[in-house]
Amino acid sequence: MKKRLGAAILILFIALSTVLAACGSDKNENASKGNEGSASPGASAPASAGTGDDAGGKDAEPFTVSLRHIQIGEAQKFRKAILDDVVKKTEAEVPGLKFELDGVEDQVNRFTKLPAEMAAGNPPKIFDLFGGAGDALKYAKAGRLLDVTPIIEELGIADKFLNLSQFTLDGRVYGLPIGGSTEGFFYNIPMFEKYGIKVPTTLEELEAAAETLKQNGITPFAMGSKAAWVPLMMVNTLIGRYAGPEAIDGFPAGTHAWNSPEVTAAFAKYEEWVKKGYFTKGELGLEYADMLNQFVTGKAGMMFDGSWRASVFKDPSQAGELTGQVGFFPMPPVPGGKGDQTYVNGNYSNGYGFSADLNERELTAVKAFIKNMYNEEMQLRGLLEDGVLPSMKLSGDALGKVEDPLVKQIMETMRRAGGAFSHFDSTVHSEVYKESEAQIQRLIAGRATAAEVTEALQKIQEIANANQ
Amino acid sequence: MLLKRVVPHAVLLAYVAAVLFPFVFVLFSSLKGSNVEIAADPFGIPKTWHPENYLEAWVKAKIGVYFFNSVYLSFTSALTAALLSAATAFAIIRMRYPRIGRWIYQTVLIGMFIPGNVLFIAQYLLVMNLGVLNTHWALFLPYTAGALPLGVLLLAAFMKSLPGELEEAAIMDGLSSAGLFAKIVLPLTLPALVTVFIVNFLGAWNEYLLANFFISKDALRTLPTGMVGFRDAFRTNYALICTGIVYSVAPVLLLYAFLQKQIIEGMTVGSVKG
Amino acid sequence: MKHPMRNPWIYTLFTVPTLLLYGMFFLWPMLSSAYYAFTDWNGLENYRYVGWSNFAAAFGDPDFRRAIVNNLIFIGFSIFVQIPLIVLFALLIASVRRLRGFYKTTVFVPSIVSTSVIGILWGFIYEPEVGPLNRLLALFGAGPVYWLAEPKWALPAVLIANAWQWMGFYIVLVLAAILAIPRELHEAAVVDGANGWQRELNITVPLIMPLISVVVMLSIAGGMRVVDIVLVMTKGGPVGATEVMASYMVNEAMGINPNYGFGTAIALIIFAFALLLTSLYQLTFGRRTEGGYF
Repeated sequence: MKKRLGAAILILFIALSTVLAACGSDKNENASKGNEGSASPGASAPASAGTGDDAGGKDAEPFTVSLRHIQIGEAQKFRKAILDDVVKKTEAEVPGLKFELDGVEDQVNRFTKLPAEMAAGNPPKIFDLFGGAGDALKYAKAGRLLDVTPIIEELGIADKFLNLSQFTLDGRVYGLPIGGSTEGFFYNIPMFEKYGIKVPTTLEELEAAAETLKQNGITPFAMGSKAAWVPLMMVNTLIGRYAGPEAIDGFPAGTHAWNSPEVTAAFAKYEEWVKKGYFTKGELGLEYADMLNQFVTGKAGMMFDGSWRASVFKDPSQAGELTGQVGFFPMPPVPGGKGDQTYVNGNYSNGYGFSADLNERELTAVKAFIKNMYNEEMQLRGLLEDGVLPSMKLSGDALGKVEDPLVKQIMETMRRAGGAFSHFDSTVHSEVYKESEAQIQRLIAGRATAAEVTEALQKIQEIANANQ
Repeated sequence: MLLKRVVPHAVLLAYVAAVLFPFVFVLFSSLKGSNVEIAADPFGIPKTWHPENYLEAWVKAKIGVYFFNSVYLSFTSALTAALLSAATAFAIIRMRYPRIGRWIYQTVLIGMFIPGNVLFIAQYLLVMNLGVLNTHWALFLPYTAGALPLGVLLLAAFMKSLPGELEEAAIMDGLSSAGLFAKIVLPLTLPALVTVFIVNFLGAWNEYLLANFFISKDALRTLPTGMVGFRDAFRTNYALICTGIVYSVAPVLLLYAFLQKQIIEGMTVGSVKG
Repeated sequence: MKHPMRNPWIYTLFTVPTLLLYGMFFLWPMLSSAYYAFTDWNGLENYRYVGWSNFAAAFGDPDFRRAIVNNLIFIGFSIFVQIPLIVLFALLIASVRRLRGFYKTTVFVPSIVSTSVIGILWGFIYEPEVGPLNRLLALFGAGPVYWLAEPKWALPAVLIANAWQWMGFYIVLVLAAILAIPRELHEAAVVDGANGWQRELNITVPLIMPLISVVVMLSIAGGMRVVDIVLVMTKGGPVGATEVMASYMVNEAMGINPNYGFGTAIALIIFAFALLLTSLYQLTFGRRTEGGYF
């Protein structure tokens, strides 16, 4: 009797635990299988959904759509304001709609939350997404992203985008870039005047400027390399200069190698500047926000960053004394560099993606969101209020409205460039990018030489290319 | 002679100062006006007091939300764990199924040997599969489950020491075992229950790893994750960060001020038994 | 009539929920870890069985080997630096008559605060320009030390923060044992002419050895468990200087390229290490078993 009770309890609990846990995995599979099912009724019955909503008007049942964004913190407040306006407008247009905003830090969303949610099959309905092989295209291949090609064709904006390549897989578009950016040098105008530094147009001038600043106790280049993507911005542009713009796409294509002399030269130049002490001391402990702080408080004279940072410098509460006193110039041509040295870095890789798992009403909401977010008005607002370059074509009139001298300088830089090359973080496989993060920090810490770094990267690249 | 009396105190006071200085420093910094002032005079009392930092932090860091989540989660998981442990301890110690009881005890004992983070990924996958990721269940269930081994152990030890006559008398009076548990045993084990509750409450309150990865919705976040997020968002505003630290630490210190005996006892006894 | 204490329904009711929760969140994860560790599941595609390659990859990765060493350093620091200090302070507190409660209460405080908050707190203390530590050094003319940015300083910095958090806990633990020693032993020794230090060394310390043994075991377990403070202060950097096995696991499984198969393999390695070290300690120094009720 006792034995049977004991055995019963034992079997009961093991069985229950196993069943519960396994049941959960079944539920997950059913959910993902169900995706294909739910998408078609939604697409094939827009008419009924449309009339239903219009007729339903005030009586429409409320529903929420989760919206993940990265506009948290002071520096992002202008972008957040634009997002809020789009949200409000869309909610007013779709009866019963309520957006549930979830703000997460950029890197956390891109590298921790979203990958995990994609794996679990339950990403938010609308979310901030990066383009490229390691992000959007990876998820698109796994069927997690909504194909927005029909939507943008219906809205007539399909050909208005400047560059959709990083969100396009097999001719279908899976995400929409919200803006463009270029990475280059911001510089402290009063400081340059004080030390008689002219805006560098050659590498020698740049290094001379750095040397002058250093002699006067100022750090030439602000840097916070705790988050490895920050130093990689400059590295990427150096690769574009030394190895040519084609190299960036060439790595995954196998036409260019990391351990080629040219790419190694790019890393070697970076290493040289590290050794000369041109970067902030203790950079490995400083975050991205600290780098801005270094520049804004005048501890550093130049800062290599993306053009999205421009809006900070017109806001006195963030830029302090440097408000309106910041200029921009691209990485100058390097001697012996391959390819067109007037090319600049151009990224159209940050934007919004949409879950493939949407019901009819959510799809309606998404369409309205796209309509309200991706139009000339919002793009212009982004440019004027936030200094973010447009990802869609704007009329000459619209572009002429820009008054901020810094933004004008950035736009002028892009206009004068022969072309643009992307950042390799959107062209190479995740494993390679991850390795590049580890390697650049080793380089900065003096634990690896440029040659060792590029050898290691090439090894991983070859494995990734073989596994394609 | 006097020296011999003074030296231990001197050494100990120095150590206490080393232990407490970070807290004092943070408190002072939280009331200062700018980073410059903090850097210039780290240990000094603020020249001008800026209590508005606290309001700013409360709003910007959404401390109210995180605080509520932490309280509610810690409270419910600690309470549930205490009650479940008590019930199980009662069953295995006092009820008459000694062999099963022994077996259950040994099984639960295994849990004490597993370091906390070993199960993290598997628990993450489990929570994901159960579909409760990003809900409070995702934390409630692992926290409660994690509190069970120690709870059962402690309460079993306590209950073992209860005199058997009380039970006999109650049973004579016609009480069922459930009634006995609720009316007699539970009240008697109250001190141990409180200890188990407090230890688990603190454990859940302070937990960071699971709270960080199992919950991404801001409205559901707990204090530790919220504080780290706040620190990352406002890195360069040190006064504000210090305010956040004060917010996180104050409730715990308050609890400690009133319940230090139970807290110390619970945490230390628990470790030794384990 | 069945004895109320032999009521199978109540028994089930009282034990099954506990066992269920425990089974689901302890036993099942252990089993599923053992399974996933041999696959290469990354959450998006179908996974393949890969045998021992996850484990081979882990031990082949110099960063992981570094992490193992760091865990050992944590444990070593706890045992060889902290424990003597802990015993010293406990003895000092036990030796004074006044303010004993005050000392006990205050040193215990850091151990009840969340490790993540401690990480933020000490991150601030170590701040190179504004933090009090460098300001203090500046008073003596020493240049700013980049505590968390330089590989050679980062690990000691984290070790100190960790010690700061936990020493008080162990001090109180040891204190209780010291105070449990009957006064007669000390009094007898005084009569025999032993002075303070001789008494402590020859009576107190040997008598608290069983508890010190427990403290060592707890230190080993604690050293293997370290993760929160690393993640919050340095995320394992710079360049892996503060990486421990658990933070390596978290970064691999939840980072840019999530690999749950690899992550669970690391989890199992951590578990195996913990068991190995504890058993090694038990075998070499032995321990009188206490506890257990059947």
